[in-house]
Amino acid sequence: MGLLDSSGDLSAEMEVDAFRRLFPLRYYERHLAESIRPDGRPLGRARDTTVALGAVSSADGSALAKIGSTTMLAAIKMEVMTPSAESPDEGCIAIEFHMPPICSPIVRPGRPAEAAVVVSKQLSDTILSSGMIDLKELALVSGKAAWMAYLDIYCLDADGALFDAALLSAVAAFSHLQIPVVSVNDKGKIVAFTEEGDGRKLEKEAVNKEKIKLTLGSIPFSLTCALHKKYILADPTSEEESIMETLVTVVMDSSDRLVSFYKPGGPALAYTSLVTDCVALTRHRMKELEKILDEAFSGMEVD
Amino acid sequence: MEFVNPEGLRLDGRRPMEMRQLRAEIGAVARADGSAVFEMGNTKVIAAVYGPREVQNKSQQSNDQALVRCEYTMANFSTGDRKRKPKGDRRSTEISLVIRQTMEACILTHLMPRSQIDIYVQVLQADGGTRSACINAATLALADAGIPMRDLVTSCSSGYLNSTPLLDLNYLEDSAGGPDVTVGFLPKLDRVTLLQMDAKLPVDIVENVMQLAIEGCKAIATYIREVLLENTKQLEYRRGL
Repeated sequence: MGLLDSSGDLSAEMEVDAFRRLFPLRYYERHLAESIRPDGRPLGRARDTTVALGAVSSADGSALAKIGSTTMLAAIKMEVMTPSAESPDEGCIAIEFHMPPICSPIVRPGRPAEAAVVVSKQLSDTILSSGMIDLKELALVSGKAAWMAYLDIYCLDADGALFDAALLSAVAAFSHLQIPVVSVNDKGKIVAFTEEGDGRKLEKEAVNKEKIKLTLGSIPFSLTCALHKKYILADPTSEEESIMETLVTVVMDSSDRLVSFYKPGGPALAYTSLVTDCVALTRHRMKELEKILDEAFSGMEVD
Repeated sequence: MEFVNPEGLRLDGRRPMEMRQLRAEIGAVARADGSAVFEMGNTKVIAAVYGPREVQNKSQQSNDQALVRCEYTMANFSTGDRKRKPKGDRRSTEISLVIRQTMEACILTHLMPRSQIDIYVQVLQADGGTRSACINAATLALADAGIPMRDLVTSCSSGYLNSTPLLDLNYLEDSAGGPDVTVGFLPKLDRVTLLQMDAKLPVDIVENVMQLAIEGCKAIATYIREVLLENTKQLEYRRGL
């Protein structure tokens, strides 16, 4: 065993893995000083992102989004309900985010992870306030029937940047959504529209034959960054998130407007310059995500 | 309703002794110690295994064997109508118990005392035979985690409709009201570990239907072995061996 040098640096005597576990912050700082991260990424780059539409065939709209190892499966189920008296011409969206125990070793059955509840609320607020969905498009019969869209997002693998992946999968699922065609039967109830194949005249016309796909307004895209001293790490992994406890999430939409900014405390304090840097990184990331979503969508249309 | 038409084809075009298409993928969840996705036709299930790890509840810790826990949940969007209570309802609790006891029988728990093995199974799409798909996925996930087992556990269901024994029922055939037999089988040891049956079945037919399910299990075992072998080859290749 060698002697400790004056700075008390044991790193020369220790294996890399052990050093990473025992002194995670110093391990990371050694990398940050060279403007790189342990997985080889430069500080401002996000991990490889993929989006696959239509992952769940039994749902009305679904998408699987992966950012690095973080995997989110989003699916939308439509149900008919009576609209409220204050807004008889509007439907409703219910968003739920689940973190089942398969996604991470720290999630135990019977005790939902704290992160699940927080991300669920953040997601719900962001999607409803971004104006991406016009609730009037979910109306069927004014005052009597409207669509309730249940969006369920399941985290299948939690490796950091949960909100980003969840938002991406939610947006992709909404763009994949096909509203089922329905008609009104004699008793005034909404039923699934069935075609009479042998040329007989249709008794009941479909109520919403034209409105099968939602027109999406400006789509929100997000980027989570971890802050540490003067460094900004874009798209942190779960290891990075746990070491650098300060996280900032910026949500922007495709018309270059800031939808939401979220910095829930944390040891690192942000100067104005850091804030503008985060926003710039998000703008750059937004262009990447737009391209990825377009590719996924056009890939599906070819079928 | 006719489940087997005069030509001998079922509702989805299969023959009575034909199983649905199988697809398995190992290592789907990067953070888990072992994981697998298993598809039987339209039924899609993901399983993750965490362990052996420290026992969470010290009072349950056992000094001579590992504790095995299992949780079965269905995603809200997995069935035709959206499920309100995906876990904690009676069916999920019963299936969790069944899977736990089936896997516990074949894990060599005495090799890992004072530890805990967690098996989590999530149904992403349900079209009949979820119990079987879960057991098959759990077997693959346990193998991926490197947990020592006596043998692979494979499972398949069978039924009896329109006087014909049918292999691997889908949701429509399952809810037809006929008998539904689920078998859990250890192929190398040639032993049945799980056997569940609902609805009435004449005694002279039971043997046939059960044997059909066992044949299905053997076919699944062959497929699972192939998948594991391919996975090992990939691992060797990546390590440069």
